[in-house]
Amino acid sequence: MALVRRLGRTGIFVVLAAVVLLALLAVWKPYVVIEGIQRGGLYALIALPMALILGIVGIINLAHGEFMMLGAYFAYWLSVYTGMDPLVAMLPALAVFALLGVATYLLTIRRALKAPELNQLLLTFGLAMMASQFANLMWTSRPLKPHLSYVYSSMRLGSLTFGTYAFVYTAGAIALLVGLLLFLKRTRVGKAALAVGQNPRGARLVGIDVNRTYLVIFSLSIALVGAIGALFLTRHSVFPSVGSPFTMKSFCLIAMAGIGNLSGVVWGGFGLGIAEAFVLSFRGYGGWADVVFFAVLVAVIMGRSYRRRTA
Amino acid sequence: MRWRRAVPYAVGAALAATFPLFSGMYTQQVAVTVLIYMTLALSWDMLLRSGQLGFGTAGFFGVGSYAAVLLFLHTGVPALVSILFAGAVAGVIAALVGLAVLRLRGMYFAITTLALAGIFAVVVRNIPSLTGGPEGMMLPSCIFSGDTTKVYWLVLGMAVLTILVSEVFERTRLHFALTSIRNDERVAKSSGIGVYGVLVLVFAITSAIQGVAGGMYAHVFGFISPEGSFHANFLLLPLAMALLGGIHSTWGPIVGALALGVLAEYLKLEIPYGHLLVYGGIIVVVTLFLPQGVYGAARVRLRGSRLGGSR
Repeated sequence: MALVRRLGRTGIFVVLAAVVLLALLAVWKPYVVIEGIQRGGLYALIALPMALILGIVGIINLAHGEFMMLGAYFAYWLSVYTGMDPLVAMLPALAVFALLGVATYLLTIRRALKAPELNQLLLTFGLAMMASQFANLMWTSRPLKPHLSYVYSSMRLGSLTFGTYAFVYTAGAIALLVGLLLFLKRTRVGKAALAVGQNPRGARLVGIDVNRTYLVIFSLSIALVGAIGALFLTRHSVFPSVGSPFTMKSFCLIAMAGIGNLSGVVWGGFGLGIAEAFVLSFRGYGGWADVVFFAVLVAVIMGRSYRRRTA
Repeated sequence: MRWRRAVPYAVGAALAATFPLFSGMYTQQVAVTVLIYMTLALSWDMLLRSGQLGFGTAGFFGVGSYAAVLLFLHTGVPALVSILFAGAVAGVIAALVGLAVLRLRGMYFAITTLALAGIFAVVVRNIPSLTGGPEGMMLPSCIFSGDTTKVYWLVLGMAVLTILVSEVFERTRLHFALTSIRNDERVAKSSGIGVYGVLVLVFAITSAIQGVAGGMYAHVFGFISPEGSFHANFLLLPLAMALLGGIHSTWGPIVGALALGVLAEYLKLEIPYGHLLVYGGIIVVVTLFLPQGVYGAARVRLRGSRLGGSR
């Protein structure tokens, strides 16, 4: 009931309309809904750490997808040399990428915090290019993928047969969202980070170490996205340019939800995933699915800018 | 005193014009590539002078490539006409897209333009009947049947025209409009500048230049493909060149393009696969430590010493 009260009347209509639409779609094309929820889970999962950086440090990290790509490579080589399963490799990836995040923050991001936004964009774009070219140099552009039998698990539900493994992304996205929200609302460090995100000067006045908070949040996000890279590898292959579409899709989701709205990112992810799966379901037009996120991005940003103008 | 200041320009122009007379085919080919990248770098910087960071360079370059080749193959007009047509197509598309995306600022504009290149590539890939789909298309023969000397002069002409346009941007009222928009859009608006109109105009002009460069490139190398024509290099290299040379000026990108173009040839021989890593590094280091670029820093140094001397 608290949910209903918070949404207000128009909100209820929107939610009801979405549910009805989804139900219709589930009857018409059930695979679209399943595939969309799996895809959307992955998008949301990758977008959440980026939303965290943008919301609290206030920097748009254009190298976000590239860090995920590096995480996937890390897990791949770990599985080749030690035979470690990519799912287990998430733990060392978490540690290694936390260190990578600390190094990136101290060497580059920290110096650009006060710089104009353009410089921050250029800086992270340069980082993205360095990461993808580094991968290209080290491991060539050949797609790599470990063979894992468990990702082919499937399930029958009435007349439907579908893969179940990809729901791990959906579950992961929801778990990460809940975890991040608990972290931000319940822990001391998280509350401090929220305060810094709202107003860095105010946070400093009440005695929060703003620089350290930035460092913690940035490294945490990079650590998370590195581990997500390992999880990504279980079902997808990795190559140097695999990350950059995810950077853009993540940004699209964040723009859709509004900066600082983490749960909106997850809902947006499902929406985008279902929309893409819908386009993919038409034979011969599947190639156009990559345009969907752009259409959504432009429509949402435009909608927002016009609403702001009339308000 | 006026003529004395013109001496370096005259020497530079004479050197550039007579370059093929004392160089071999390989050096001329390198020079052609450098000049095309120089054109891109300048056009990117011209938009940046208005404070808008565009990542659409590769996109409009690819659009130009495709427009030129398609018109050339389907109607059989002279190659030069098709190159001009490429500029017109890129300019018109930019104007139309610009009407929407130039409502956006900062990171929203940057990422939307970055996504544009991906969208153009997807569109091209999905209309195989017209564009040859993922395989791309070959021209029956390159422009001037591959005579590098003529190609050099043609590309030099394009670069010089771009330099002239850039100087027009620098020396007319447009310069004040752009600088004022960059510094503070609200002030610009209240001093009677039609911000939106100026931005759409500049976006269209710079994109048209990128389209011409793309058309030229396609005719010089005789090949187009979704991966090749929209390659991130056509964004990464010009950006690194302009940044290294110094942004917000005509001469910065020229200096940067010459320096990096020569360096690129050397690096290509040393590290064939990863030489672009260096470009990413240059972007990062320059944004952090030398935001004015080499030319900008030298200009400040020179002006400082001249002022010091006269006192």
